[in-house]
Amino acid sequence: MKVDQATNILITGATDGIGLLLAHLYLAQGANVVITGRRDAKAVEQVIPKDAIYIQANQEHPQITADLITKAMTEIGWDHCDLAILNAGNGHVCNPLQENPEAIRDTLNVNLVAPILIARTLVRFLDKAHHGKLVFIGSTSHKGAAKFASYAASKAGLHGFARSLREEWHHRITVLIIHPGPTATGMHAKAGFDAGAMKRLFFDPDYVARTIVASIHKGASPVSIGVFARIKQALSLRKNPVSAGDI
Amino acid sequence: MNILITGAVAGLGRALCEKLLDEGHNIIAIDINKDGLEELKKQRGDLLDVIQVDLTISDAVSRLIETLAKGTRFDLVVLNAGINATGNFEENPGEAYRRLLTINTETPIIMASAMIGGNMMETGGTVVFVSSLSHATGYPGASVYAASKDAIATYASSIRRACARMNINILTIFPGPIKTDHAARHAPKGADAERRMAPNRLAFLVLNAVSQRKHDLYPGVIAKLTNVAGRLLPAFLTRLMRRIVFEKLDKPTY
Repeated sequence: MKVDQATNILITGATDGIGLLLAHLYLAQGANVVITGRRDAKAVEQVIPKDAIYIQANQEHPQITADLITKAMTEIGWDHCDLAILNAGNGHVCNPLQENPEAIRDTLNVNLVAPILIARTLVRFLDKAHHGKLVFIGSTSHKGAAKFASYAASKAGLHGFARSLREEWHHRITVLIIHPGPTATGMHAKAGFDAGAMKRLFFDPDYVARTIVASIHKGASPVSIGVFARIKQALSLRKNPVSAGDI
Repeated sequence: MNILITGAVAGLGRALCEKLLDEGHNIIAIDINKDGLEELKKQRGDLLDVIQVDLTISDAVSRLIETLAKGTRFDLVVLNAGINATGNFEENPGEAYRRLLTINTETPIIMASAMIGGNMMETGGTVVFVSSLSHATGYPGASVYAASKDAIATYASSIRRACARMNINILTIFPGPIKTDHAARHAPKGADAERRMAPNRLAFLVLNAVSQRKHDLYPGVIAKLTNVAGRLLPAFLTRLMRRIVFEKLDKPTY
């Protein structure tokens, strides 16, 4: 589908990192973009694109977030949503057997329960779009990670949810899950993880965002931005995977 | 052995309870069903303690862990309690999904983490997580259930190595349909109940896997074959599940 002024796009967790880059990419193509973040609107004023509409919503409270998003979309007069990218996520690093129960609950709520409940309330907006797309941002750790046990679990849940829902909504709404590998955003620092020299191996966030846009355009799922993408990036075969004007 | 079983009143939990009581082990049985627990207690009160808890409520789980921490250490913990929600994804209430994700995913993670990390397990003990055969196939018509069971499988594999260093084994089981009232309620129309595995048979296979210190159990030949098929042809198997399950579900059920 072509992006134009009638294209409505929701991106959660878009006040920094990959979400913010995605918002910039789609705004540059002329779409209407609604973004969410957990911080107060004042605190993110300087950071977020001025053309985007901001909704403050903390996904630690999944149903409240889902309701806030649909309420705001209705208020600005959206009757449909062409593309929803459920990107917001958090994580924490620790010994897998010393995880704080509150941190486990927050991780599961933000990364798994909230996207599921948001997807549920978004159905009527996605159904009204011509070919609605619902995109989940997972992680290559969804197959398991000792230092991020509950984070990996939440992303595995998201993977399984997307897999089954994609089949359930076949020919109705395209459901995708994209698993980025480690990316040089603020996520690791926020999670309390010092990657040290490993940082040099992390993906460039801009490259990841552009690869996500290209994957959404293709519609294949699941997609991992992992070892193969790293080789391609190193060989500079795909410096700019996005063809302008498409989502 | 000292044993903890959640969801002990029906299905696999009940079958495990009865087998282990027959072998003379001490059990703490947890369930939401008070009458069911009392009935169990009447049968074998000498070896059995029962605690009624709603494992869909986070605070109740935290209180349960505090209570358990005061008791003896466990040789075997079976985190079995779980629920389903079937039908068109958007037709079940959000609260049903919140409850499902709490009892199927959050609660076993919180309990395992607290019990292993909090020194509540005996050395050489085992924690059993109950995932599902849907881990191999996908489960259109129960996408949130599928999510909850994939999450728990990945949690189990993520902590396995750290637990092995403490000589605690993590066993994940991936059962297909079991012959229970719960499965019957969520089954597609026309499904043959006779083809579901009897809880007693499953309990036998689980206890064997516990004593052999296995990591994963796909119980029975059909589950084993399905797992292989799911690895080779994941998209095909999910499509097949759409035909045999999703398209035959007639109403939202939670």
